[in-house]
Amino acid sequence: MRVTICIGSACHLKGSREVISQMQDLVAQNGLSDKVDLNGAFCSGNCVKEGVCVTVDGELYSVKPEETKGFFEKEILGRM
Amino acid sequence: MGITVDVAYKSFNKFGEVLCGDKVEILQTEDSNIMILADGMGSGVKANILATLTSKILGTMFLNGATLEECVETIVDTLPICQVRKVAYSTFSILQVFHSGEAYLVEFDNPGCIYIRDGQLVPIPENIRVIKDKKINEFRFRVKKGDALILMSDGTVHAGVGQLLNFGWLWEDIAAYAQKQYCRTISAARLATAVCEACDELYMYRPGDDTTVACMRIIDSKPVHLMTGPAENKDDDKKMVDEFMSGEDNTKRIVCGGTSATIVSRVLGRPLDVSLDYVDPEIPPMAYMEGIELVTEGVLTLNRVIKLLRRYVEKEVVTDEFFQELDKKNGASMVAKMLIEDCTELHLYVGKAINSAYQNPGLPFDLGIRQNLVEQLRHAVEEMGKPVTVTYY
Repeated sequence: MRVTICIGSACHLKGSREVISQMQDLVAQNGLSDKVDLNGAFCSGNCVKEGVCVTVDGELYSVKPEETKGFFEKEILGRM
Repeated sequence: MGITVDVAYKSFNKFGEVLCGDKVEILQTEDSNIMILADGMGSGVKANILATLTSKILGTMFLNGATLEECVETIVDTLPICQVRKVAYSTFSILQVFHSGEAYLVEFDNPGCIYIRDGQLVPIPENIRVIKDKKINEFRFRVKKGDALILMSDGTVHAGVGQLLNFGWLWEDIAAYAQKQYCRTISAARLATAVCEACDELYMYRPGDDTTVACMRIIDSKPVHLMTGPAENKDDDKKMVDEFMSGEDNTKRIVCGGTSATIVSRVLGRPLDVSLDYVDPEIPPMAYMEGIELVTEGVLTLNRVIKLLRRYVEKEVVTDEFFQELDKKNGASMVAKMLIEDCTELHLYVGKAINSAYQNPGLPFDLGIRQNLVEQLRHAVEEMGKPVTVTYY
């Protein structure tokens, strides 16, 4: 599963770093390092959304730092 | 072959003084680079005025093709006379290097120029001419790639007088130290800083005199192309990227901006690999693309780059610690390092498109300031004595 997290200017200010480090921890804790491929991405032009732009296999989501855990359980664990 | 120079200088003020009594001017004419170092008598305001007048007069007159005699006469007639000492006095050194490789050194009462070639000191012969009662040494020679020339004010040879060293730091010892540093450092900035820092240490961080070291290294030209921001009109994307990618083989390229990087990637058909590695919490991670030396985020990174460049051009604060900051592996430090140490001319390719998503009052930083940043960047790099061109799209 390919997951990208935007690190463009706007998403950075909305907390990319926090989302990335939480996702990295969650992926490691759940032993999914082989299955989930975390990548950076530059602006996809969707920065009007409130959260950080994250894609899962090409599907776009908007994730705020405090929503990361919930997002991970629903969209990533939920698809396993 | 055309000669290119890397120039940099560093000063310390006499302890307790706000102004520096030494002044360095770095200029370019169509066919040469000029570096002038003037040291005004005394310290503080008076010295600063004398040195500034001297260096500015020399610079302006040289630029307009005046002879050395005319320059010296003008200085002698212009400098205000000190009420206390009843003289008007400022020492100076002028180094002019032509693109053809011809060089011309003029020295008046400063410590002699340190000339290093292939790691060895080159003696500068005595050839004195008297103009208006001033004994001025002239030397005409040819430079070659790798040469380094160092001009200094007498604060260097006075370092540590009566304290750590009986007679100060002797010229021969400074030259030997510079020779050692010449082999260890690549850029003029680091060489000048190394010598100046050593003086500061000998003064035990309380310089007894204004101390300045100005360095010129003869190098290959190192053009840098920096692209930032998407073009206002999407149809210009290809033109912008083509021009950004043009230039000689030794050109280094930087892209500052996620959207810009995406455009370059699309136009060139080269994949963009975005890292997740937050080396610095405030600077977004970098990305990688074949053929582009550095790919970074845009305005936040540029904002930091400008802060670093300003620290560098505002001489008083450039220390070893600054170079440690410059050696860090975050996007901003890497861009700043390339502009300071690995660049002789900068070409900026700037897109004027406004990112609608950035017009968001909820963001804690005004992202819509790219053009303002570009102007600041241009000024900072020009202050380093490097030519800058800006093309807008």
